[in-house]
Amino acid sequence: MKPLTVIGIGNRLRGDDAAGPMVIDGLMELNDPQVELIDAGSDAIGLLEYLNDRNRVWIVDACSMAKSPGEVVKFRPDQVDMLLKNDLQNLHGLGLAEALKMATELKMLPKELMIFGIQPQALEFNSAVSSSVLTAIERLVHEIHNEIQEVGDNS
Amino acid sequence: MSQDLNIKVHHLTRVEGHGNIVVNMKDGVLEKAHLSIVEPPRFFEAMMKGRSFHEAAIITSRICGICSLGHQITSLVATEDALGLEISEQTELLRKLLVNGATLQSNVLHAYFLAAPDFLKVGSVFPLIATHKDVVLRALRMKRLANDIGDIVSGRAVHPITPVPGGFTRIPEKSELVELKRRLLEEALPDGIATIETMKSLAGAIPQFERETEYISLKHPDEYALYQGDIFSSDSGAQDVHNYLDVTNEFIVDHSTSKHARFNRSSYFVGALARWNNNHTQLVPEALEAAEAMGLKPNCYNPYMNTIAQVVEAVHVIFDSVRIIDTLLEKGLKNEKPNQTPTRYGRGIGSNEVPRGILFHDYTYDKKGSIVEANCIIPTGQNLANIDDDMKKLVPEIIAKSKEEITADLEMLVRAYDPCISCSVHMLDVDFIE
Repeated sequence: MKPLTVIGIGNRLRGDDAAGPMVIDGLMELNDPQVELIDAGSDAIGLLEYLNDRNRVWIVDACSMAKSPGEVVKFRPDQVDMLLKNDLQNLHGLGLAEALKMATELKMLPKELMIFGIQPQALEFNSAVSSSVLTAIERLVHEIHNEIQEVGDNS
Repeated sequence: MSQDLNIKVHHLTRVEGHGNIVVNMKDGVLEKAHLSIVEPPRFFEAMMKGRSFHEAAIITSRICGICSLGHQITSLVATEDALGLEISEQTELLRKLLVNGATLQSNVLHAYFLAAPDFLKVGSVFPLIATHKDVVLRALRMKRLANDIGDIVSGRAVHPITPVPGGFTRIPEKSELVELKRRLLEEALPDGIATIETMKSLAGAIPQFERETEYISLKHPDEYALYQGDIFSSDSGAQDVHNYLDVTNEFIVDHSTSKHARFNRSSYFVGALARWNNNHTQLVPEALEAAEAMGLKPNCYNPYMNTIAQVVEAVHVIFDSVRIIDTLLEKGLKNEKPNQTPTRYGRGIGSNEVPRGILFHDYTYDKKGSIVEANCIIPTGQNLANIDDDMKKLVPEIIAKSKEEITADLEMLVRAYDPCISCSVHMLDVDFIE
Protein backbone atom coordinates (compact mmCIF):
# COMPACT_ATOMS: atom_id res chain seq x y z
CA MET A 1 0.00 0.00 0.00
CA LYS A 2 1.19 3.50 -0.78
CA PRO A 3 2.00 5.63 2.27
CA LEU A 4 -0.50 8.33 1.34
CA THR A 5 -3.89 8.56 -0.35
CA VAL A 6 -5.22 11.87 -1.68
CA ILE A 7 -8.91 12.02 -2.58
CA GLY A 8 -10.57 14.86 -4.48
CA ILE A 9 -14.33 15.26 -4.12
CA GLY A 10 -16.66 17.43 -6.13
CA ASN A 11 -18.68 17.84 -9.28
CA ARG A 12 -16.61 19.02 -12.22
CA LEU A 13 -19.65 20.54 -13.89
CA ARG A 14 -20.43 22.90 -11.03
CA GLY A 15 -17.98 25.76 -11.06
CA ASP A 16 -15.74 25.81 -7.99
CA ASP A 17 -17.02 22.44 -6.80
CA ALA A 18 -14.53 21.07 -9.35
CA ALA A 19 -11.66 22.10 -7.05
CA GLY A 20 -11.18 18.66 -5.44
CA PRO A 21 -10.98 16.69 -8.71
CA MET A 22 -8.80 19.42 -10.29
CA VAL A 23 -6.25 19.15 -7.51
CA ILE A 24 -6.11 15.42 -8.28
CA ASP A 25 -5.54 16.27 -11.99
CA GLY A 26 -2.63 18.53 -11.00
CA LEU A 27 -1.08 15.90 -8.75
CA MET A 28 -1.41 13.25 -11.45
CA GLU A 29 0.78 15.32 -13.73
CA LEU A 30 3.48 15.40 -11.06
CA ASN A 31 3.34 11.62 -10.93
CA ASP A 32 4.50 10.91 -7.37
CA PRO A 33 5.04 7.17 -6.98
CA GLN A 34 4.43 7.41 -3.21
CA VAL A 35 0.87 8.56 -3.44
CA GLU A 36 -2.47 7.01 -4.41
CA LEU A 37 -4.70 9.55 -6.17
CA ILE A 38 -8.47 9.19 -6.30
CA ASP A 39 -11.02 11.37 -8.06
CA ALA A 40 -14.14 10.44 -6.12
CA GLY A 41 -16.41 12.75 -8.13
CA SER A 42 -19.60 13.54 -6.26
CA ASP A 43 -20.31 10.10 -4.84
CA ALA A 44 -19.43 10.79 -1.21
CA ILE A 45 -20.54 7.41 0.10
CA GLY A 46 -18.09 5.82 -2.31
CA LEU A 47 -15.38 7.40 -0.13
CA LEU A 48 -15.89 4.77 2.53
CA GLU A 49 -14.05 2.32 0.32
CA TYR A 50 -10.91 4.41 0.35
CA LEU A 51 -10.76 5.21 4.05
CA ASN A 52 -10.62 1.78 5.59
CA ASP A 53 -7.26 0.01 5.91
CA ARG A 54 -5.28 3.09 4.95
CA ASN A 55 -2.73 4.93 7.06
CA ARG A 56 -2.95 8.49 5.82
CA VAL A 57 -5.74 10.00 3.80
CA TRP A 58 -6.00 13.60 2.69
CA ILE A 59 -9.32 14.79 1.29
CA VAL A 60 -9.59 17.87 -0.91
CA ASP A 61 -13.07 19.36 -1.15
CA ALA A 62 -14.86 22.65 -1.68
CA CYS A 63 -16.08 23.62 1.78
CA SER A 64 -18.46 26.28 2.94
CA MET A 65 -16.38 27.84 5.73
CA ALA A 66 -17.41 31.49 5.69
CA LYS A 67 -13.95 32.43 4.38
CA SER A 68 -13.09 34.45 1.32
CA PRO A 69 -13.17 32.62 -2.03
CA GLY A 70 -10.03 30.63 -2.71
CA GLU A 71 -8.97 30.48 0.91
CA VAL A 72 -7.64 27.05 1.86
CA VAL A 73 -7.94 25.63 5.36
CA LYS A 74 -6.37 22.39 6.47
CA PHE A 75 -8.12 20.64 9.36
CA ARG A 76 -8.80 17.32 11.02
CA PRO A 77 -12.46 16.26 11.20
CA ASP A 78 -12.40 16.53 15.03
CA GLN A 79 -11.37 20.19 14.80
CA VAL A 80 -14.65 21.25 13.24
CA ASP A 81 -18.40 20.82 13.36
CA MET A 82 -19.55 19.39 10.08
CA LEU A 83 -23.15 20.20 9.36
CA LEU A 84 -25.17 17.05 8.74
CA LYS A 85 -28.11 17.36 6.44
CA ASN A 86 -31.16 16.82 8.55
CA ASP A 87 -33.32 15.50 5.83
CA LEU A 88 -31.86 12.51 4.02
CA GLN A 89 -34.70 12.65 1.48
CA ASN A 90 -32.74 10.83 -1.13
CA LEU A 91 -29.41 9.17 -1.70
CA HIS A 92 -28.25 12.36 -3.30
CA GLY A 93 -28.24 14.04 0.08
CA LEU A 94 -25.34 11.95 1.30
CA GLY A 95 -22.27 14.15 1.35
CA LEU A 96 -18.83 14.18 2.92
CA ALA A 97 -20.12 15.03 6.42
CA GLU A 98 -22.48 12.05 6.33
CA ALA A 99 -19.84 9.73 4.89
CA LEU A 100 -17.32 10.70 7.57
CA LYS A 101 -19.88 10.30 10.36
CA MET A 102 -20.66 6.85 9.05
CA ALA A 103 -16.98 5.95 8.75
CA THR A 104 -16.33 7.18 12.30
CA GLU A 105 -19.17 5.15 13.77
CA LEU A 106 -18.20 2.06 11.81
CA LYS A 107 -14.58 2.54 12.91
CA MET A 108 -13.46 2.67 9.29
CA LEU A 109 -11.33 5.79 9.54
CA PRO A 110 -7.67 5.76 8.50
CA LYS A 111 -5.00 6.44 11.11
CA GLU A 112 -4.59 10.00 9.90
CA LEU A 113 -7.28 11.97 8.11
CA MET A 114 -6.82 15.57 6.99
CA ILE A 115 -9.22 17.70 5.01
CA PHE A 116 -8.04 20.50 2.75
CA GLY A 117 -11.06 22.75 2.44
CA ILE A 118 -11.24 25.28 -0.36
CA GLN A 119 -13.77 28.08 0.01
CA PRO A 120 -15.70 28.30 -3.28
CA GLN A 121 -17.24 31.37 -4.84
CA ALA A 122 -19.77 30.01 -7.33
CA LEU A 123 -21.27 26.57 -7.74
CA GLU A 124 -23.68 27.03 -10.64
CA PHE A 125 -24.02 24.23 -13.14
CA ASN A 126 -21.96 24.76 -16.27
CA SER A 127 -20.05 27.71 -14.84
CA ALA A 128 -16.29 28.21 -14.97
CA VAL A 129 -14.00 27.83 -11.99
CA SER A 130 -13.45 31.27 -10.46
CA SER A 131 -10.00 32.81 -10.72
CA SER A 132 -9.41 32.88 -6.95
CA VAL A 133 -10.17 29.17 -6.72
CA LEU A 134 -7.97 28.41 -9.75
CA THR A 135 -5.08 30.11 -7.99
CA ALA A 136 -5.85 28.13 -4.83
CA ILE A 137 -5.89 24.85 -6.77
CA GLU A 138 -2.49 25.57 -8.28
CA ARG A 139 -1.02 26.54 -4.92
CA LEU A 140 -2.52 23.53 -3.19
CA VAL A 141 -1.14 21.12 -5.78
CA HIS A 142 2.38 22.37 -5.04
CA GLU A 143 1.84 22.45 -1.30
CA ILE A 144 0.57 18.88 -1.27
CA HIS A 145 3.35 17.81 -3.61
CA ASN A 146 5.92 19.25 -1.21
CA GLU A 147 4.32 17.57 1.76
CA ILE A 148 4.24 14.30 -0.15
CA GLN A 149 8.02 14.52 -0.54
CA GLU A 150 8.32 14.88 3.23
CA VAL A 151 5.95 11.96 3.81
CA GLY A 152 8.03 9.91 1.40
CA ASP A 153 11.27 10.85 3.19
CA ASN A 154 9.86 9.90 6.56
CA SER A 155 8.28 6.62 5.60
CA MET B 1 -56.79 15.85 13.51
CA SER B 2 -58.94 18.84 12.76
CA GLN B 3 -60.40 19.73 9.40
CA ASP B 4 -57.64 22.28 8.85
CA LEU B 5 -54.15 21.13 8.04
CA ASN B 6 -51.06 22.99 6.98
CA ILE B 7 -47.87 21.15 6.32
CA LYS B 8 -44.75 22.72 4.97
CA VAL B 9 -41.65 20.62 5.10
CA HIS B 10 -38.79 22.83 4.07
CA HIS B 11 -35.50 21.16 3.67
CA LEU B 12 -33.38 24.05 4.65
CA THR B 13 -29.99 22.88 3.72
CA ARG B 14 -27.70 25.04 1.73
CA VAL B 15 -27.75 22.52 -1.03
CA GLU B 16 -30.09 23.69 -3.72
CA GLY B 17 -32.54 21.42 -5.38
CA HIS B 18 -34.25 19.92 -2.41
CA GLY B 19 -37.94 19.14 -2.40
CA ASN B 20 -40.40 20.85 -0.13
CA ILE B 21 -43.65 19.14 0.73
CA VAL B 22 -46.64 21.48 0.84
CA VAL B 23 -50.08 20.35 2.00
CA ASN B 24 -53.00 22.60 2.70
CA MET B 25 -56.46 21.56 3.83
CA LYS B 26 -59.29 23.87 4.81
CA ASP B 27 -62.63 22.84 6.29
CA GLY B 28 -61.92 19.26 5.32
CA VAL B 29 -61.25 20.15 1.70
CA LEU B 30 -57.79 19.53 0.31
CA GLU B 31 -56.59 22.69 -1.40
CA LYS B 32 -52.99 21.78 -2.04
CA ALA B 33 -50.81 18.69 -1.84
CA HIS B 34 -47.59 18.71 -3.74
CA LEU B 35 -43.89 18.32 -3.80
CA SER B 36 -42.42 21.61 -4.82
CA ILE B 37 -39.02 21.41 -6.34
CA VAL B 38 -36.49 24.17 -6.41
CA GLU B 39 -34.06 22.93 -8.95
CA PRO B 40 -31.17 24.44 -10.78
CA PRO B 41 -32.34 25.89 -14.08
CA ARG B 42 -32.20 23.64 -17.08
CA PHE B 43 -28.60 23.35 -18.01
CA PHE B 44 -28.36 20.21 -20.07
CA GLU B 45 -28.51 21.64 -23.57
CA ALA B 46 -26.17 24.52 -22.73
CA MET B 47 -23.67 22.05 -21.34
CA MET B 48 -23.82 19.71 -24.33
CA LYS B 49 -23.93 22.13 -27.25
CA GLY B 50 -20.74 22.12 -29.31
CA ARG B 51 -19.34 19.00 -27.62
CA SER B 52 -17.89 16.25 -29.77
CA PHE B 53 -19.27 12.75 -29.72
CA HIS B 54 -16.20 11.63 -27.79
CA GLU B 55 -17.02 13.99 -24.93
CA ALA B 56 -20.78 13.61 -24.55
CA ALA B 57 -20.84 10.52 -22.32
CA ILE B 58 -17.99 11.75 -20.13
CA ILE B 59 -19.78 15.01 -19.42
CA THR B 60 -23.16 13.42 -18.74
CA SER B 61 -21.55 10.89 -16.41
CA ARG B 62 -20.55 13.83 -14.22
CA ILE B 63 -24.01 15.35 -13.88
CA CYS B 64 -24.68 13.30 -10.81
CA GLY B 65 -22.50 11.18 -8.54
CA ILE B 66 -25.25 8.69 -7.81
CA CYS B 67 -26.68 8.38 -11.32
CA SER B 68 -23.35 8.56 -13.13
CA LEU B 69 -23.39 5.22 -14.94
CA GLY B 70 -27.00 5.50 -16.07
CA HIS B 71 -26.30 8.82 -17.77
CA GLN B 72 -23.06 7.56 -19.25
CA ILE B 73 -24.52 4.43 -20.87
CA THR B 74 -27.69 6.18 -22.05
CA SER B 75 -25.55 8.94 -23.58
CA LEU B 76 -23.49 6.36 -25.48
CA VAL B 77 -26.65 4.73 -26.85
CA ALA B 78 -27.99 8.12 -28.01
CA THR B 79 -24.69 9.00 -29.71
CA GLU B 80 -24.48 5.62 -31.46
CA ASP B 81 -28.07 5.99 -32.65
CA ALA B 82 -27.31 9.46 -34.02
CA LEU B 83 -24.07 8.47 -35.77
CA GLY B 84 -25.07 5.00 -36.94
CA LEU B 85 -22.41 3.23 -34.89
CA GLU B 86 -23.10 -0.49 -34.56
CA ILE B 87 -21.88 -2.19 -31.41
CA SER B 88 -20.83 -5.81 -30.95
CA GLU B 89 -22.63 -8.44 -28.92
CA GLN B 90 -19.72 -8.39 -26.47
CA THR B 91 -20.10 -4.63 -25.95
CA GLU B 92 -23.81 -5.07 -25.31
CA LEU B 93 -23.18 -7.84 -22.76
CA LEU B 94 -20.53 -5.80 -20.95
CA ARG B 95 -22.88 -2.81 -20.82
CA LYS B 96 -25.65 -4.96 -19.40
CA LEU B 97 -23.24 -6.13 -16.73
CA LEU B 98 -22.49 -2.49 -15.88
CA VAL B 99 -26.17 -1.59 -15.73
CA ASN B 100 -26.77 -4.56 -13.42
CA GLY B 101 -24.00 -3.33 -11.12
CA ALA B 102 -25.45 0.17 -11.00
CA THR B 103 -28.94 -1.22 -10.30
CA LEU B 104 -27.63 -3.43 -7.51
CA GLN B 105 -25.75 -0.57 -5.91
CA SER B 106 -28.52 2.00 -6.01
CA ASN B 107 -31.37 -0.35 -5.08
CA VAL B 108 -29.50 -1.77 -2.10
CA LEU B 109 -28.41 1.61 -0.78
CA HIS B 110 -31.92 2.99 -1.13
CA ALA B 111 -33.48 0.04 0.66
CA TYR B 112 -31.00 0.08 3.55
CA PHE B 113 -30.10 3.74 3.96
CA LEU B 114 -33.44 5.42 3.24
CA ALA B 115 -36.29 2.93 3.42
CA ALA B 116 -35.14 0.78 6.36
CA PRO B 117 -34.81 3.80 8.71
CA ASP B 118 -38.34 4.76 7.65
CA PHE B 119 -39.71 1.30 8.35
CA LEU B 120 -37.94 1.25 11.73
CA LYS B 121 -38.96 4.86 12.45
CA VAL B 122 -35.47 5.89 13.49
CA GLY B 123 -35.16 9.03 11.37
CA SER B 124 -31.98 8.21 9.48
CA VAL B 125 -29.42 5.52 8.84
CA PHE B 126 -27.11 6.72 11.62
CA PRO B 127 -28.96 5.17 14.58
CA LEU B 128 -28.87 1.86 12.71
CA ILE B 129 -25.09 1.81 12.92
CA ALA B 130 -25.38 1.28 16.67
CA THR B 131 -28.38 -1.05 16.64
CA HIS B 132 -27.94 -2.96 13.37
CA LYS B 133 -24.27 -2.67 12.51
CA ASP B 134 -24.22 -5.99 10.66
CA VAL B 135 -27.01 -4.76 8.39
CA VAL B 136 -25.21 -1.48 7.58
CA LEU B 137 -21.99 -3.38 6.88
CA ARG B 138 -23.91 -5.76 4.62
CA ALA B 139 -25.27 -2.80 2.66
CA LEU B 140 -21.76 -1.40 2.25
CA ARG B 141 -20.41 -4.81 1.25
CA MET B 142 -23.05 -5.09 -1.48
CA LYS B 143 -22.33 -1.55 -2.62
CA ARG B 144 -18.65 -2.38 -2.80
CA LEU B 145 -19.20 -5.47 -4.93
CA ALA B 146 -21.47 -3.47 -7.22
CA ASN B 147 -18.75 -0.82 -7.46
CA ASP B 148 -16.20 -3.48 -8.29
CA ILE B 149 -18.33 -4.60 -11.23
CA GLY B 150 -17.98 -1.02 -12.47
CA ASP B 151 -14.27 -1.00 -11.71
CA ILE B 152 -13.59 -4.18 -13.66
CA VAL B 153 -15.78 -3.38 -16.65
CA SER B 154 -15.61 0.40 -16.93
CA GLY B 155 -12.71 1.72 -14.88
CA ARG B 156 -13.51 4.33 -12.25
CA ALA B 157 -12.01 6.80 -9.79
CA VAL B 158 -8.52 5.38 -10.08
CA HIS B 159 -8.51 4.36 -13.76
CA PRO B 160 -9.45 5.90 -17.10
CA ILE B 161 -13.07 5.42 -18.05
CA THR B 162 -13.34 2.66 -20.67
CA PRO B 163 -16.90 2.75 -22.11
CA VAL B 164 -16.83 4.94 -25.22
CA PRO B 165 -19.06 5.33 -28.29
CA GLY B 166 -18.88 2.09 -30.25
CA GLY B 167 -17.47 -0.13 -27.50
CA PHE B 168 -14.81 -0.27 -24.79
CA THR B 169 -11.20 0.93 -24.75
CA ARG B 170 -10.29 -1.96 -22.49
CA ILE B 171 -11.84 -5.42 -22.27
CA PRO B 172 -11.77 -7.10 -18.85
CA GLU B 173 -9.48 -10.09 -18.35
CA LYS B 174 -10.99 -13.55 -18.20
CA SER B 175 -9.56 -13.99 -14.69
CA GLU B 176 -11.28 -10.79 -13.53
CA LEU B 177 -14.66 -12.04 -14.70
CA VAL B 178 -14.12 -15.47 -13.16
CA GLU B 179 -13.32 -13.82 -9.83
CA LEU B 180 -16.32 -11.51 -10.16
CA LYS B 181 -18.59 -14.49 -10.74
CA ARG B 182 -17.19 -16.19 -7.66
CA ARG B 183 -17.88 -13.11 -5.55
CA LEU B 184 -21.39 -12.73 -6.96
CA LEU B 185 -22.19 -16.29 -5.94
CA GLU B 186 -20.26 -16.47 -2.67
CA GLU B 187 -20.70 -12.92 -1.37
CA ALA B 188 -23.51 -11.07 -3.13
CA LEU B 189 -25.95 -13.97 -3.15
CA PRO B 190 -25.86 -14.71 0.62
CA ASP B 191 -26.09 -10.95 1.26
CA GLY B 192 -29.01 -10.76 -1.15
CA ILE B 193 -30.81 -13.58 0.63
CA ALA B 194 -30.15 -11.88 3.99
CA THR B 195 -31.55 -8.66 2.52
CA ILE B 196 -34.80 -10.44 1.64
CA GLU B 197 -35.04 -11.66 5.24
CA THR B 198 -34.38 -8.15 6.60
CA MET B 199 -36.97 -6.56 4.33
CA LYS B 200 -39.46 -9.32 5.10
CA SER B 201 -39.13 -8.53 8.79
CA LEU B 202 -39.78 -4.84 8.07
CA ALA B 203 -42.60 -5.30 5.58
CA GLY B 204 -45.25 -4.90 8.30
CA ALA B 205 -44.24 -1.25 8.62
CA ILE B 206 -45.00 -0.46 4.97
CA PRO B 207 -48.08 1.79 4.80
CA GLN B 208 -51.13 0.23 3.23
CA PHE B 209 -51.93 2.75 0.55
CA GLU B 210 -52.98 2.07 -3.00
CA ARG B 211 -53.48 4.25 -6.03
CA GLU B 212 -53.61 2.62 -9.39
CA THR B 213 -51.84 4.74 -11.98
CA GLU B 214 -50.18 4.38 -15.37
CA TYR B 215 -46.91 2.44 -15.18
CA ILE B 216 -44.25 3.21 -17.78
CA SER B 217 -41.00 1.35 -18.31
CA LEU B 218 -38.97 -0.16 -21.09
CA LYS B 219 -39.97 -3.60 -22.32
CA HIS B 220 -37.66 -6.03 -24.09
CA PRO B 221 -38.86 -9.11 -25.97
CA ASP B 222 -36.19 -11.42 -24.51
CA GLU B 223 -35.38 -10.20 -21.02
CA TYR B 224 -36.27 -8.03 -18.04
CA ALA B 225 -35.57 -4.67 -19.62
CA LEU B 226 -32.87 -2.56 -18.00
CA TYR B 227 -30.76 -1.91 -21.10
CA GLN B 228 -32.82 -0.81 -24.10
CA GLY B 229 -36.21 -1.97 -25.36
CA ASP B 230 -39.48 -0.30 -26.33
CA ILE B 231 -41.32 2.17 -24.13
CA PHE B 232 -44.24 0.31 -22.56
CA SER B 233 -47.28 1.84 -20.90
CA SER B 234 -49.59 -0.27 -18.75
CA ASP B 235 -52.44 1.75 -20.30
CA SER B 236 -51.59 1.78 -23.99
CA GLY B 237 -48.83 -0.73 -24.73
CA ALA B 238 -45.58 -0.36 -26.65
CA GLN B 239 -44.00 2.62 -28.42
CA ASP B 240 -40.67 3.00 -30.14
CA VAL B 241 -38.22 5.01 -27.99
CA HIS B 242 -37.91 7.49 -30.86
CA ASN B 243 -41.45 8.62 -29.95
CA TYR B 244 -40.52 9.37 -26.35
CA LEU B 245 -41.71 12.99 -26.56
CA ASP B 246 -45.24 11.69 -27.27
CA VAL B 247 -45.02 9.81 -23.97
CA THR B 248 -43.34 12.34 -21.69
CA ASN B 249 -45.39 15.40 -22.76
CA GLU B 250 -43.55 17.65 -20.34
CA PHE B 251 -45.48 20.59 -18.97
CA ILE B 252 -44.84 23.46 -16.61
CA VAL B 253 -46.51 23.73 -13.22
CA ASP B 254 -46.45 26.77 -11.00
CA HIS B 255 -45.17 25.07 -7.84
CA SER B 256 -42.04 23.59 -9.34
CA THR B 257 -39.21 24.74 -11.56
CA SER B 258 -38.90 21.17 -12.77
CA LYS B 259 -41.24 20.17 -15.58
CA HIS B 260 -43.82 17.47 -14.95
CA ALA B 261 -44.82 14.65 -17.32
CA ARG B 262 -48.09 12.95 -18.27
CA PHE B 263 -49.24 10.50 -20.92
CA ASN B 264 -52.64 8.78 -20.84
CA ARG B 265 -53.64 10.15 -17.42
CA SER B 266 -52.74 13.12 -15.24
CA SER B 267 -49.54 11.35 -14.19
CA TYR B 268 -47.51 8.16 -14.53
CA PHE B 269 -45.11 6.09 -12.44
CA VAL B 270 -41.56 5.15 -13.45
CA GLY B 271 -39.07 3.06 -11.49
CA ALA B 272 -38.77 -0.39 -9.97
CA LEU B 273 -42.49 -0.77 -9.27
CA ALA B 274 -43.37 0.14 -12.86
CA ARG B 275 -40.81 -2.37 -14.14
CA TRP B 276 -42.22 -4.99 -11.78
CA ASN B 277 -45.79 -4.40 -12.92
CA ASN B 278 -44.88 -4.37 -16.60
CA ASN B 279 -42.17 -7.03 -16.78
CA HIS B 280 -42.26 -9.25 -13.69
CA THR B 281 -42.72 -12.45 -15.73
CA GLN B 282 -39.21 -11.93 -17.13
CA LEU B 283 -37.49 -11.98 -13.73
CA VAL B 284 -35.39 -15.00 -12.72
CA PRO B 285 -37.34 -17.52 -10.57
CA GLU B 286 -35.29 -16.64 -7.49
CA ALA B 287 -36.36 -12.98 -7.78
CA LEU B 288 -40.00 -14.03 -8.13
CA GLU B 289 -39.64 -16.16 -5.00
CA ALA B 290 -38.12 -13.17 -3.20
CA ALA B 291 -41.08 -11.04 -4.25
CA GLU B 292 -43.51 -13.59 -2.91
CA ALA B 293 -41.62 -13.85 0.36
CA MET B 294 -41.74 -10.06 0.82
CA GLY B 295 -45.41 -9.80 -0.17
CA LEU B 296 -44.97 -8.10 -3.54
CA LYS B 297 -47.65 -9.26 -5.98
CA PRO B 298 -48.43 -8.30 -9.57
CA ASN B 299 -49.96 -5.81 -10.10
CA CYS B 300 -49.03 -3.71 -7.13
CA TYR B 301 -50.50 -0.23 -6.77
CA ASN B 302 -48.81 0.74 -3.49
CA PRO B 303 -45.99 3.23 -4.22
CA TYR B 304 -44.34 2.45 -0.87
CA MET B 305 -43.69 -1.04 -2.29
CA ASN B 306 -41.22 0.49 -4.77
CA THR B 307 -38.50 -0.34 -2.24
CA ILE B 308 -39.52 -4.00 -2.18
CA ALA B 309 -39.49 -4.07 -5.99
CA GLN B 310 -35.94 -2.68 -5.81
CA VAL B 311 -34.84 -5.53 -3.55
CA VAL B 312 -36.44 -8.03 -5.93
CA GLU B 313 -34.41 -6.47 -8.75
CA ALA B 314 -31.24 -6.66 -6.66
CA VAL B 315 -31.73 -10.44 -6.50
CA HIS B 316 -32.46 -10.57 -10.23
CA VAL B 317 -29.34 -8.66 -11.26
CA ILE B 318 -27.08 -10.87 -9.15
CA PHE B 319 -28.27 -13.94 -11.09
CA ASP B 320 -28.39 -12.11 -14.40
CA SER B 321 -24.81 -10.89 -13.93
CA VAL B 322 -23.63 -14.47 -13.39
CA ARG B 323 -25.48 -15.46 -16.58
CA ILE B 324 -23.82 -12.61 -18.53
CA ILE B 325 -20.36 -13.57 -17.27
CA ASP B 326 -20.99 -17.21 -18.23
CA THR B 327 -22.03 -16.11 -21.73
CA LEU B 328 -18.98 -13.87 -22.12
CA LEU B 329 -16.63 -16.63 -20.99
CA GLU B 330 -18.33 -19.22 -23.16
CA LYS B 331 -17.99 -17.05 -26.25
CA GLY B 332 -14.43 -16.09 -25.34
CA LEU B 333 -13.38 -12.48 -24.68
CA LYS B 334 -12.35 -10.70 -27.85
CA ASN B 335 -9.94 -7.78 -27.77
CA GLU B 336 -12.21 -5.60 -29.93
CA LYS B 337 -11.57 -1.96 -30.71
CA PRO B 338 -14.50 0.44 -30.43
CA ASN B 339 -16.31 1.20 -33.68
CA GLN B 340 -15.99 4.99 -33.98
CA THR B 341 -16.55 5.57 -37.69
CA PRO B 342 -19.85 7.41 -38.09
CA THR B 343 -22.08 6.27 -40.95
CA ARG B 344 -24.43 9.24 -40.61
CA TYR B 345 -24.88 12.46 -38.64
CA GLY B 346 -28.24 13.40 -37.23
CA ARG B 347 -30.53 12.83 -34.31
CA GLY B 348 -30.32 9.88 -31.92
CA ILE B 349 -32.25 8.75 -28.86
CA GLY B 350 -30.93 6.66 -26.01
CA SER B 351 -33.17 5.14 -23.38
CA ASN B 352 -32.40 2.81 -20.50
CA GLU B 353 -33.96 1.81 -17.22
CA VAL B 354 -31.78 3.39 -14.57
CA PRO B 355 -32.53 2.63 -10.91
CA ARG B 356 -35.09 5.46 -10.58
CA GLY B 357 -36.88 4.68 -13.85
CA ILE B 358 -36.80 5.29 -17.55
CA LEU B 359 -34.16 7.80 -18.74
CA PHE B 360 -33.95 9.52 -22.12
CA HIS B 361 -31.03 11.25 -23.81
CA ASP B 362 -31.63 12.90 -27.17
CA TYR B 363 -28.82 14.44 -29.25
CA THR B 364 -28.56 15.96 -32.69
CA TYR B 365 -25.09 16.03 -34.25
CA ASP B 366 -23.80 18.18 -37.10
CA LYS B 367 -21.50 16.82 -39.82
CA LYS B 368 -18.41 17.52 -37.73
CA GLY B 369 -19.71 15.20 -35.01
CA SER B 370 -20.57 18.04 -32.62
CA ILE B 371 -23.82 18.36 -30.71
CA VAL B 372 -26.19 21.07 -31.93
CA GLU B 373 -29.25 20.10 -29.88
CA ALA B 374 -29.59 18.05 -26.72
CA ASN B 375 -32.36 16.98 -24.39
CA CYS B 376 -32.44 14.80 -21.30
CA ILE B 377 -35.49 13.64 -19.36
CA ILE B 378 -34.76 12.06 -16.01
CA PRO B 379 -36.99 9.60 -14.16
CA THR B 380 -37.61 11.87 -11.19
CA GLY B 381 -39.05 14.59 -13.44
CA GLN B 382 -41.48 12.03 -14.82
CA ASN B 383 -42.50 10.91 -11.32
CA LEU B 384 -43.25 14.35 -9.88
CA ALA B 385 -46.85 14.54 -11.12
CA ASN B 386 -47.42 11.01 -9.85
CA ILE B 387 -46.10 11.91 -6.39
CA ASP B 388 -48.50 14.89 -6.29
CA ASP B 389 -51.42 12.66 -7.27
CA ASP B 390 -50.43 10.15 -4.59
CA MET B 391 -50.43 12.91 -1.98
CA LYS B 392 -53.85 14.14 -3.04
CA LYS B 393 -55.29 10.67 -2.46
CA LEU B 394 -53.22 9.88 0.62
CA VAL B 395 -53.83 12.98 2.75
CA PRO B 396 -57.63 12.59 3.08
CA GLU B 397 -57.14 8.89 3.88
CA ILE B 398 -54.80 9.58 6.80
CA ILE B 399 -56.32 12.85 7.98
CA ALA B 400 -57.26 11.30 11.35
CA LYS B 401 -53.59 10.94 12.20
CA SER B 402 -51.55 13.63 13.95
CA LYS B 403 -49.85 16.29 11.88
CA GLU B 404 -46.48 14.73 12.71
CA GLU B 405 -47.61 11.30 11.57
CA ILE B 406 -49.06 12.72 8.35
CA THR B 407 -45.81 14.56 7.68
CA ALA B 408 -43.82 11.38 8.31
CA ASP B 409 -46.05 9.40 5.92
CA LEU B 410 -45.64 12.07 3.22
CA GLU B 411 -41.88 12.23 3.61
CA MET B 412 -41.73 8.46 3.47
CA LEU B 413 -43.79 8.54 0.28
CA VAL B 414 -41.35 10.92 -1.37
CA ARG B 415 -38.41 8.82 -0.21
CA ALA B 416 -40.03 5.66 -1.64
CA TYR B 417 -39.45 7.20 -5.08
CA ASP B 418 -35.84 8.01 -4.12
CA PRO B 419 -36.00 11.24 -6.10
CA CYS B 420 -32.91 12.61 -7.75
CA ILE B 421 -33.68 16.23 -7.00
CA SER B 422 -30.28 17.47 -6.11
CA CYS B 423 -27.84 16.42 -8.76
CA SER B 424 -25.80 18.86 -6.90
CA VAL B 425 -22.78 19.94 -5.02
CA HIS B 426 -21.96 17.85 -2.03
CA MET B 427 -20.17 20.69 -0.41
CA LEU B 428 -19.00 20.18 3.12
CA ASP B 429 -20.44 22.77 5.46
CA VAL B 430 -17.98 23.55 8.22
CA ASP B 431 -18.01 25.56 11.44
CA PHE B 432 -14.66 25.87 13.13
CA ILE B 433 -14.71 25.07 16.82
CA GLU B 434 -13.33 28.05 18.65
